[in-house]
Amino acid sequence: MAQLAEQPETTIKSDAAILRASGVRKTFRMGESTVTVLKNVDLSIRTGEFVAIEGRSGSGKSTLLHILGALDAADGGSIFYDNQDIATLDSAGKSRLRNTHFGFVFQFYYLLPELNVMENTLLAAMVEYSWFGFRTHHAELRKRATEVLDQLGMAHRLKHRPNQLSGGERQRVAIARALMNKPRVLFADEPTGNLDAETGRQIMSVMENLHKNHNQTIAMVTHDRTIARQADRILVLKDGKLERAEER
Amino acid sequence: MYKLHLILKYLRKRRIAWVSLIAVMMCTAMVIVVISVMGGWLRMFKETFHDITGDIVISRRSLTGFANYEVMIEKIKALPEVAGAAPTLKTYGLIDINRRMRDGVQVIGLPLEQMQNVNGFRHSLYRQYGQYIEATDDPKTTAEDREQLKQLAERPASFAKPYSNEEYQAANPELKGNLNNFAGMIVGAGVVGIGKDAKGKIEHWPALFTAYARLTVMPLAEQGATLDPMTKSDRYFFIVDDSRTKVWQYDSNTVYVPFDLLQKDLGMDKKSYTDSEGNKINEPARTSEIHIGLKLGANLWATRDKIQQIVDGAIGSDQATQLGIDPVVVQTWEQFNAKFISAVEHEKVLVTFLFSLISIVAIFLIFCIFYMIVVEKTRDIGIIKSVGATASGVAGIFLGYGLAIGIVGSGLGLLAGYLIIHNINFLHEKMGELMGIQIWNPEVYAFDIIPNTINPREVAVIMAVAVVSSVLGAFVPAVRAARLHPVEALRFE
Repeated sequence: MAQLAEQPETTIKSDAAILRASGVRKTFRMGESTVTVLKNVDLSIRTGEFVAIEGRSGSGKSTLLHILGALDAADGGSIFYDNQDIATLDSAGKSRLRNTHFGFVFQFYYLLPELNVMENTLLAAMVEYSWFGFRTHHAELRKRATEVLDQLGMAHRLKHRPNQLSGGERQRVAIARALMNKPRVLFADEPTGNLDAETGRQIMSVMENLHKNHNQTIAMVTHDRTIARQADRILVLKDGKLERAEER
Repeated sequence: MYKLHLILKYLRKRRIAWVSLIAVMMCTAMVIVVISVMGGWLRMFKETFHDITGDIVISRRSLTGFANYEVMIEKIKALPEVAGAAPTLKTYGLIDINRRMRDGVQVIGLPLEQMQNVNGFRHSLYRQYGQYIEATDDPKTTAEDREQLKQLAERPASFAKPYSNEEYQAANPELKGNLNNFAGMIVGAGVVGIGKDAKGKIEHWPALFTAYARLTVMPLAEQGATLDPMTKSDRYFFIVDDSRTKVWQYDSNTVYVPFDLLQKDLGMDKKSYTDSEGNKINEPARTSEIHIGLKLGANLWATRDKIQQIVDGAIGSDQATQLGIDPVVVQTWEQFNAKFISAVEHEKVLVTFLFSLISIVAIFLIFCIFYMIVVEKTRDIGIIKSVGATASGVAGIFLGYGLAIGIVGSGLGLLAGYLIIHNINFLHEKMGELMGIQIWNPEVYAFDIIPNTINPREVAVIMAVAVVSSVLGAFVPAVRAARLHPVEALRFE
């Protein structure tokens, strides 16, 4: 586990914000009425920081994570990644950002059922490279995927399909996929929400290891304070606002 | 890379897509079979008609024919493009074979020895051509014999009788009189009931070439063409050969006799007589048609125009006026057989169109299945987008998937179509034996075998249409997939 993913340039926590949200608003239409889930949310995540966003079910924490990760767009306000407003990027630019700068881990793993462990892990690399580029870098990409899977304890399951894996194993593969392209920010949406307590602890230990030993910037949302406490900082989302911040 | 990888995965793992693949395969095979049979039928029609017609035909609809044909032939033969020209007579008569088989037949009078350079009628004869070719094809035949057989097959065809009078007399003791007066006759294979055995080999009567026939024809005068039973002409023939042109209309009811004999029997030969008012009348000889064969490389249409000028000059304006609405026409072989060829051409277009219309069902099937797949794969689309796939990339997966189904489906369709076409006569025969079904009726389709040649260009077009149709079927679902919002797709239940 100690040798997990080679990390990009930053090895120490920096004061510079890698990701910043400013006045983010998001409203959903529910039939005749509208629900505002995010009301002028301001947030700043520093390089190498592990931030937990805590909130109850339906509080809008996943929505905030999706907006931060360029998976969704805000109705108002701005998201700055490396001081660049994400809204200025076109659709292809946002796709590139998700592919090479961000990694996502979801509560329900979201692995492709037709692909085996190795192929699921390689998915982000397959998206990054053309057919020719992938063939050219095939050996090194497979080596990288094997290393990541090995460090997550999944090297013995390379040919298995998701339906042949346990929940914890699936989440490990999802983490491996998220780390494959060496993302600068790892977004985790309730990564333990679908796991039993013991498996959840193991997954959190992986996250903690990534953060502590590899200086991985992590933004995680959870409804569980115990889980959130493993982060450097806890932000609580309540009534559409980040009400309180707690630092370790 | 992910597009190709996912396309191949989906192709292997999503079995529901196999339904659309099978639909594409079946539609491709169906259209290939239909177009090959219809196209092959048309090609066989054209080739056969060309072979028995020659390149250019001068004809008149009336059974009374036209005069001055010798002058025309002489001038036509002098053209450098012309390989040969010969007159032909066409009429109808009654035949009585061995005093046992009586039937109404079309009678064609041919100067057979002159037909060598005009058309390929010779190739339809069994005794003078077909049997030698069959023997040449026999693997047991030695090279020396094969050469000899080839030479025998190359000889000009004739109405010459193969047996002596004594042999004919022995075979037909009931015959009285001078057998020298019996001329040679060639019969269409169907006239004497020649068919195929279970192995597809043509079965001949053992005594066919010693059989005799009485042919009755009615002379027709140019003026007031009426049938007069008192002027009927009876003549006896020995059957010297049988003809299989492969055109059922000819083979089922046509007999061929020497031109000069038929001309005489029809009263179309040259005559000089004095009429009731004491005027000396010279009636020129007449024929129904002149068939012309061209040399290789000759320009068909330019030569036709030259021949038209010769015909116009030979007929003269007086006779042209007299012929009136039924003029002598000069036509290429395709024009001459247009009523048969264009009917088949139209039928081919119609049937192909109808089957192509049915094939549109495949597009809708692909659309429905792909739509189902996109709905089913909504969350996967969200996953792929979350790792950085673009909208066009996602659309590319489904368009590529459609393309792959089109390529594989049409490829399998080609294979299935080829196997069906290649064995179509065997399958048809077996269907007939096992279920009593006869789809291909030789009387309707003119040929006694179903054509089984595949035109590569037509196949390429069919396959291209199948592939494009598959991509079209996948287009709307692909656009829907591309437009899916990643978060909504991930939340899809």
